[in-house]
Amino acid sequence: MNVIEVQGLKKDYPLGKTIVHALRGIDFSVEEGAFLSIVGPSGSGKTTLLNIIGCIDHPTAGRVRIHDQEISKLNDKQITDLRLHRIGFIFQSFNLIPVLNVRENVEFPLLLMKNKRKEEIDARVEKLLRAVGLLDYMAHKPAELSGGQRQRVAIARALVGNPDIVLADEPTANLDSETSESILKLMRELNEAERTTFIFSTHDPEVLKYAGKIVKIKDGMIVGQE
Amino acid sequence: MGLTFKIAWRNIWRHKGKSLVIGVILFIGALLMTVGNGIISGMENGLSENIVNLFTGDILIISDEQEKDNILLDLMTAKPLKVIKNYEAAREVLESEEMIADYLPAASGLVFLLNSRSEMGSIYLLGVDIDRYQRFFPNSIKITEGRIFKRGERGVLISEFARKPLYDFMEYWVLPQGETLDESKLPVEAKEDLANLDLRSDIVFMGASDSNSTIDIRVPVTGIIEYKALNKIWGYYCLVDIESFREAHNYVTGADRAAELSPEEEDLLAMEDLEDFFSSGDLFTDVITDESITLDQLREETARELVEYDLDDGSYNLAFIKLKAGVTPREALVKLNRVFQEKGIEVRAISWKDAVGVIGSMAVMVKAALNLFIMFIFFVAMIIIMNTLSMAALERTSELAMMRAIGARKGFLRRMFLAETSLLSFFFGGLGIASGIIVIYLIRAADISTTNEILQLLYGGETLSPLYTPADFLLGLVELGIVTILSVIYPLRVVGKIVPLDAIIRE
Repeated sequence: MNVIEVQGLKKDYPLGKTIVHALRGIDFSVEEGAFLSIVGPSGSGKTTLLNIIGCIDHPTAGRVRIHDQEISKLNDKQITDLRLHRIGFIFQSFNLIPVLNVRENVEFPLLLMKNKRKEEIDARVEKLLRAVGLLDYMAHKPAELSGGQRQRVAIARALVGNPDIVLADEPTANLDSETSESILKLMRELNEAERTTFIFSTHDPEVLKYAGKIVKIKDGMIVGQE
Repeated sequence: MGLTFKIAWRNIWRHKGKSLVIGVILFIGALLMTVGNGIISGMENGLSENIVNLFTGDILIISDEQEKDNILLDLMTAKPLKVIKNYEAAREVLESEEMIADYLPAASGLVFLLNSRSEMGSIYLLGVDIDRYQRFFPNSIKITEGRIFKRGERGVLISEFARKPLYDFMEYWVLPQGETLDESKLPVEAKEDLANLDLRSDIVFMGASDSNSTIDIRVPVTGIIEYKALNKIWGYYCLVDIESFREAHNYVTGADRAAELSPEEEDLLAMEDLEDFFSSGDLFTDVITDESITLDQLREETARELVEYDLDDGSYNLAFIKLKAGVTPREALVKLNRVFQEKGIEVRAISWKDAVGVIGSMAVMVKAALNLFIMFIFFVAMIIIMNTLSMAALERTSELAMMRAIGARKGFLRRMFLAETSLLSFFFGGLGIASGIIVIYLIRAADISTTNEILQLLYGGETLSPLYTPADFLLGLVELGIVTILSVIYPLRVVGKIVPLDAIIRE
């Protein structure tokens, strides 16, 4: 069953008097539970594609369906709720909330959901922190953690709300190779354990060995799938 | 603590510098606002005490023929006050109205003074039944020399403020009867020429009127007075017994009303042609000299026969009215004027503010100026806070956009920002209000006094006595709340425009 379907996706950016065609017509679908990597050189359109799938950018043309729901027809509140309940984000720069500690950062999406009981939240947060190996760092602030630890917190936060999809834009770009490998292993393990669909972009060929499926993209177009 | 307040609280500590800037501005704003409100309240209270309770009452009634309401302090241009024609009818209304606590009929006006060289000066007199005056305005005057004349006794109380101008224009120094000269009070020029100092224990004055002839009368000065406050304003007025005022202005006196004519006198007035009275016999007789009669005997024989009479039977040109607690002057004015109109009584009720004219307006102007100053302070504070918060929002765009990206609605971010500003406002504003209250008490303790008339209006008296009431506290909270909300509106718009994509773009 496809969790994401992308059809004829185009995205143009005005750049002064010229138009930059970031995506020139993308068609692909992602099956539930996939561990998919979008690969391509810098400026190929990977981030734009992930942003549109993640409902934080709008396409110029084309359609994106998440669980058969056409996202272009949703208003701002509906899209925000979709991001909260169905999509998890992992950013290249970790993007944690600096004033909250590890535990509070992870539980943040659950608190936004408002319908979760405290025991439920505690159990879920502790389960994920244990899974990412940061149970002993719960009281630490992001500034007190290493890059790898911060990204682990971001992964736990992305998964805490049991989303259908986790989108990660170059999650290892700011990490050393050893830490990158551990992060990708963790993502893969959680993908299998939680049955959550992972889509991550990268331009690092080393990362590809962890991908279940690869979509190659160049100049805003898909140039191959493996 | 809610999630929004938790993040807001920690953000305040994280951005200590900006928080402190906003906090200090809120602190200063709240402090100035509190002190300003305290001064305004003190001024209102002082004016109420020093004008309403000491000189005017809550409202006044005057003749309906009186053109202007500014009857008490329009000293340069005002025409003499019109006599209240049907005072008895007005008195019945004042006696029967339940909202009136007390009233004091009086007569106010200019009198001309004469000295031995027939030079003319003037002073303002307030003619009153002195017992009723002291009961109506208790402790409003302090006697500094001599004594207060008794009820029914002829006498004038010269104010300390009017004494020096009297010396300047009339070239005599007023000394109450039976008092010894206190040289320390004399003007410098009088001290230098003490041998030629003209001391007077009575004054001769003549009423100023535009409707009837007036006469000049001699009235003893029984005392020198000071008003409890605002001496340079009320000091223009000297107090005189009501009968002397009436005589000088040719008003009907209480004695006139009480005088009973003998049958011969009535026959005389009933003569068809009074000229007949002068038509028979010689009008001129030889001068009879009787050296056995002394001047004192002559004075005694020709002295006015004392008649028992009611002071209230004579004429007045105004009445001061005090209202019962809880009655507003506005409602009393409306009701009284309606009753006067319905009963055809030719008087009208006016507010004390209208009666004191420019002084009442100045009090309002001073209040308006202070309010404007406070508004200006808050406007400046608002702009600075708005700017600082907007900058803070822009600096935190990436963080806020990330929150949006992972599912926070715009409302959450707005609440978070509002919570931050509210916490700062609550803490620093509260500190400012508390400090302002302390400053108010320090000012009161400092006992700051002035002789400057304008400052006296600002002070509401001779001493600056700011007052902080629960109403001021509520007003302060409302003003602080309004400033907080207004200063956060634009930053909230900035926050509202942050989109999730900003989290990626600014990475």
